Amino acid sequence: MPKRLFSILLFAIILGGLAWQFLPHKPGASAGGGRLVASQRTEPDSFNRLVSAKYPVELVSRLTSAPLIRVNRASGGLEPALATDWTAAADGLTFTLHLRQGATFSDGSPFTSADVLFSFRALYDAKVASPLASGMMVSGKPIAARALDDHTVILTFPAPYGPGLSILDNLPILPRHKLEAALNDGTFAQAWGLATPLADMAGLGPFVVAEYQAGQRMRFTRNPRYWGQDASGRALPYLDELVLEFVPDQNAEMLRLESGAVDLITEQIRAEDYAALERAAAAHKVQLVEAGVSVDPTGLWFNLTAVAPGAKARPWLQREELRHAISLAIDRTHIVDTVFLGAAEPAYGPITRGYGPWYVPTLPHPDFDPVRAKTLLESIGLKDRNGDGQLDDASGKPARIAVLTRKGNSILERTMSSVQEQLGKIGLGIDIVALERDPMLKQFFSGDYDAMYYGAPVNSIDPAINSDLWLSSGAFHFWNPGQTTPATPWEQQIDELMRAQSTTIDTAKRIEIFAEVQRVFAEHEPMVFFAAPKVTVAMSARVAGAVPAVLQPQVLWKPETLAVTGAAIR
Amino acid sequence: MTVALARFAAQRIASAAVFVLIVAASAFTLTTLAPGDATTELRASGASAAVVAHERARLGLDQSFAQQCLTWASGIVRGDLGASSMFGRPVRALVFERAAATARLAGLALLLATLIGLPLGVVSGATPRHWIARLTSPLSLALVSCPPIVGALALLLLGASTGWLSIESGAIAVPALALALPLAASLERLQAQAVREAVTAPDLVAAAARGIPPARLIWIHAARQSLRPVLGVYGVVIGSVFGGSFAVEVITAWPGLGRLMYDALRGHDVFLVSGCAMAGAFCLTAGNVIADLLRAIVDPRTRETPAS
Repeated sequence: MPKRLFSILLFAIILGGLAWQFLPHKPGASAGGGRLVASQRTEPDSFNRLVSAKYPVELVSRLTSAPLIRVNRASGGLEPALATDWTAAADGLTFTLHLRQGATFSDGSPFTSADVLFSFRALYDAKVASPLASGMMVSGKPIAARALDDHTVILTFPAPYGPGLSILDNLPILPRHKLEAALNDGTFAQAWGLATPLADMAGLGPFVVAEYQAGQRMRFTRNPRYWGQDASGRALPYLDELVLEFVPDQNAEMLRLESGAVDLITEQIRAEDYAALERAAAAHKVQLVEAGVSVDPTGLWFNLTAVAPGAKARPWLQREELRHAISLAIDRTHIVDTVFLGAAEPAYGPITRGYGPWYVPTLPHPDFDPVRAKTLLESIGLKDRNGDGQLDDASGKPARIAVLTRKGNSILERTMSSVQEQLGKIGLGIDIVALERDPMLKQFFSGDYDAMYYGAPVNSIDPAINSDLWLSSGAFHFWNPGQTTPATPWEQQIDELMRAQSTTIDTAKRIEIFAEVQRVFAEHEPMVFFAAPKVTVAMSARVAGAVPAVLQPQVLWKPETLAVTGAAIR
Repeated sequence: MTVALARFAAQRIASAAVFVLIVAASAFTLTTLAPGDATTELRASGASAAVVAHERARLGLDQSFAQQCLTWASGIVRGDLGASSMFGRPVRALVFERAAATARLAGLALLLATLIGLPLGVVSGATPRHWIARLTSPLSLALVSCPPIVGALALLLLGASTGWLSIESGAIAVPALALALPLAASLERLQAQAVREAVTAPDLVAAAARGIPPARLIWIHAARQSLRPVLGVYGVVIGSVFGGSFAVEVITAWPGLGRLMYDALRGHDVFLVSGCAMAGAFCLTAGNVIADLLRAIVDPRTRETPAS
């Protein structure tokens, strides 16, 4: 009997333990502004924004730090942050910024102009080699910062700069008292790594990191010393707690959103998820907000570098007529409908409607015309010479193009399948080479490819800040990057126009110059665009106060106004 | 412990150590030689050549392959697995942290699999016409053949739609069940087969003839006899689940070794990949060594013909 009793007891203990492990546990209800859970696919690799260009690090920085001036991602205008107001000198080079009085870091230390000077010093320090530094240069030179007093800073630009102070949006102000020693002894690049005790960090942002569980979550709590207030004078942020859960799989992420386990997905949702999300929205479980048209559509470009492997045997690969013919032969509406399921619009160039004032709706664009496409291809020697329905080059070899793209990205692969099918109808053969990111980029960097269908994220809609695509010396001048001198007259023309608009202060004039840049680009079409997806933000129905934008992070660029319904706002 | 058993144990442990080192060295070599490196993402983000060169130098990627191998090997000798380029932390600490999470998950999954699989296997084996056996057999076959990624997603969907299982990041229910159910199904099939053979063995037939109640015959005598072949596969099972499941941990966002390996491979983190491979190989071989030793203790013939 005692043996049987012992067995029963043991079984009951095991069952109880399992039930405790398995039953859903609700987090403790927080008083006040509530708790919001957002999911994020990748983890940050540092808490130090100046040493990492990765998106998760930027996200954490936007939650825990603040810049001097912030760009409102919804309106494009400048907003005061740590600088309450500013004036520009007549020369357009010197700006006087008045800093927020009484603001303190999350550890209680006062914020002064010394912290601003320190942040600029760390940014440009050669030993730090910050990936943000090149983006904070004007005409290749650093911005000089000096302090008039504890709350006044003077910034001097080395040359006139069109975007002006919006460049400051990218620079978080760091605490000198916490990091100066590391900068002085050359260990700044290692400072504020993920193993840093959380109490050793301090920031000026709306939240502080309260907990970091590697591989699981980062929990942020309200910074009680945050300087921000809403229009009615209430202290910001509204939320008591914000949690970033690291969920690497997108299917799992969607399930969590639909079930209410997370309130917000921090990255763009996939086209194939729209149908399910619309059903969830109809059931009032989630809300879908269309922020606008994507500013970083994917494009097809040909390798126009001198080392292009196919250029000798197939010189037609580098002909402008080929690109125009492809552009004419593709029915973009078909791609929008079948690949993006309607959640996109046809794209004819890199500047979409999402760019607001920079977009030129009247720019001429190619209409779907396969007959004209075939005529253009014939003009460069590509025609069906043996009656098999396939185009052949002058030597009689079938005209085939290998297009590199990213494996595992369903939108890229499906778009290329559609392009392959449509170009097949005019006899042009496409071989899709879908590779993992690293081998694909290796081929790109080494110039060992025919053509590529890919893109790069954009961090500003201002073309002067985001000029790498346009300048022949730019890293994102995909078809022929990093040129020492422009390879073609039209690239030289774009370089000159871009320099002019970058150094012009008058915005209307800049828009006019940039329209000319787009016209030259469209005339030579070094990249062919097919569709620009609509940026849709998916949030749970209880999220309030979000101001969605097309640039990443679409919602968390302004975390302090987020709230959850059902929670009391202070 | 006899001398023969001690010699046998020493041989198995030595060959396991060599296996672990070979796996770690292979992982290091393959990841280093694969296209790209830890600065690929930085380069793709448009960082200047100077910044990329600085980062490559900091991570030691500007050294020749031979020098990198030497650095790694000398670290291994000192017990230093290097530093992760992704997390900026020592690999050893990261691997221990994640191995602890995987061990918690694997322990629970094994417990569940045992509690579910073995009793059902006894029922299926002893009374194949019973409704439980009729239900269990096809279900087990389906679970055994179901890929872990599908099982994990199905459980996640169940948790999301019903609320019965927590699907929060770090909640253990879904990953534990995703690992446990196919394992339970395998144990059920093995146990059922073993029980079927046990109940027809002469000693049990004789015991039945002596009037021992059928329940006692099945649950005590037959079950005990049939455990031996099942225990034989436990070593392999323990090794594989404690090594971390790639698919289950990624889908369910469980912060274990499998997920760490996935992140390390994506980030081209050479030291971390080899550290994770080493930990996985260690778990696998440890399970096998334990199973071999247990078999050697139970059956002395094994010591003379060690399992490969």
